Amino acid sequence: MPKIVIVEDDPVIREELGLLLENEGYQVQSVTDFSDVPKQVQDAASDLILLDLGLPGRDGMSLCVNIRKNSRTPIIFVTSRDSAGDELRALSLGGDDYITKPYNIPVLLARIKAVLRRSGGPSEPDTLTARGLTLHLPHGTASAGGRSIELTRNELKILAHLMSHAGQIVSRADLIDVLWDHQIYIDDNTLSVNMTRLRAKLEEIGLPSFIKTRRGMGYQL
Amino acid sequence: MTLREYLSDRLNRLLLQIICAAAAAFFLRATGTQSGVLLILFLALLLVFTSVQLTDFFRQRARLAELTSILTGLDQKYLFAECLPPSRSLYERRLLNLTRQAGTAMTGAVSDAQAAQREYREYVERWVHEIKTPITAARLICRNLDGDTRRRLTYELGQIEAHVERALFYARAESPERDCIIRQTDLGAIVAQAIETHRTLLIQSNVRVETNGLDGSVYTDEKWAVFIVGQLLQNAARYRRDSPAVTISARSLGRQIQLTVADNGIGIPDHELPRVFNRGFTGSNGRARNQTGNSTGMGLYLCKKMAGFLDLGLNITSHEGVGTTITLTFPAKENLTKL
Repeated sequence: MPKIVIVEDDPVIREELGLLLENEGYQVQSVTDFSDVPKQVQDAASDLILLDLGLPGRDGMSLCVNIRKNSRTPIIFVTSRDSAGDELRALSLGGDDYITKPYNIPVLLARIKAVLRRSGGPSEPDTLTARGLTLHLPHGTASAGGRSIELTRNELKILAHLMSHAGQIVSRADLIDVLWDHQIYIDDNTLSVNMTRLRAKLEEIGLPSFIKTRRGMGYQL
Repeated sequence: MTLREYLSDRLNRLLLQIICAAAAAFFLRATGTQSGVLLILFLALLLVFTSVQLTDFFRQRARLAELTSILTGLDQKYLFAECLPPSRSLYERRLLNLTRQAGTAMTGAVSDAQAAQREYREYVERWVHEIKTPITAARLICRNLDGDTRRRLTYELGQIEAHVERALFYARAESPERDCIIRQTDLGAIVAQAIETHRTLLIQSNVRVETNGLDGSVYTDEKWAVFIVGQLLQNAARYRRDSPAVTISARSLGRQIQLTVADNGIGIPDHELPRVFNRGFTGSNGRARNQTGNSTGMGLYLCKKMAGFLDLGLNITSHEGVGTTITLTFPAKENLTKL
């Protein structure tokens, strides 16, 4: 379980962000005393630091330089300053990524994942299995009972999300949200079309009612 | 200044001199001066008078030409009075002194106004950065709500952000040289960021977004370009019809790359099209769309203004009931002469 240190002076954001990351399966430690941040960060021995640039009394940039003296831990800057100059400076001082407030939560999570992956953290699984169907993510195929089908990018993302939430009801709006996270910009009608095609393909390999429709609520495996 | 203007300016004095000369001639003639002597006197007077007037005319004309060339050469025209060569004429010196005093007052007023504008801009920027913290907190708190309420609140937060963003860029557009960093930027990244920023609006408006051919790179300021594309996407979502779709595509024109944002929305009436880039222009569409929030008339105005600084071509075509297409022409190679 990767450990993330949050350095953020706004108490509400600190607390809510901590809860969010814990729910996502990370171990979280928050810095609340900003007198000696570099030492606290070093002692925490984390896999990632979320560093606010607007800390009281300290410039986040110089803080980054101090942290970098003793540590190679990846740093993501989180700031409401969004001029191109700030961003260039932050990245040249050893930051790994730069996110501006107010961030979209899916974007924040995706960036955290990307930085952890680059720094050699645990990678995501290549295959997903649920109710007899195996999804091979790198190949974009699904197989069941020895038979295999090829999936389009949209179908793959839809199936991957449903399978990683097997048993739960996933609403259409949630599915559209997830697809948009992966730069697939579809509307409600397109989702219906993709769903119909996906079901037809699943039927080919003998899983005709793999995806159930829960009327008025969404889909469920 | 022409001779004619000069003479008509002095018409009163000329008439007076002619009347005086005529009265003197009449007096001399009545006291028995011979007409031969009178003629010589008249010719001598005419010679002196004409040469004096002509010298005066040429001197004044030369002086005016000198002052005009000084004014033309000045960058800040209101500093004119400070840059004048001294004059030999007392009247002119006094006059210029008055002008100089007026100029000083003006210079003070101008620099006060500039300072006030700078302070206001700085305040707006600080305010925008501060407001982003509570918006971020609200977004994080939203996450705990159930699906529908969360989506509706996220939508409203998105609207607040869009307004805040416009205020920020309005302030920035006042002194663009402080923020613009022109560098090579991936066109796909610009579009992806703009879509990401307005995703809640686009998803809730059920807009289908199609992108193609966005693998080129352009020379521009990334944040400003994202803002401009974002305004176009917001318009596409706001002025939509049934099954809305927006297509974002790019094509290369050699030294330029043209980005096209086309929607299938309600379109803009022909007679309003020339005014859509005007500040505060809302048009019949903007006023009719109360359910999506009133139009501010600022989005396209800001786009046009910022496009000017970034050296982007910004063109719009639209047909009522068919849709609106906006093309942005980016420099694809660094234009060194411009920088």
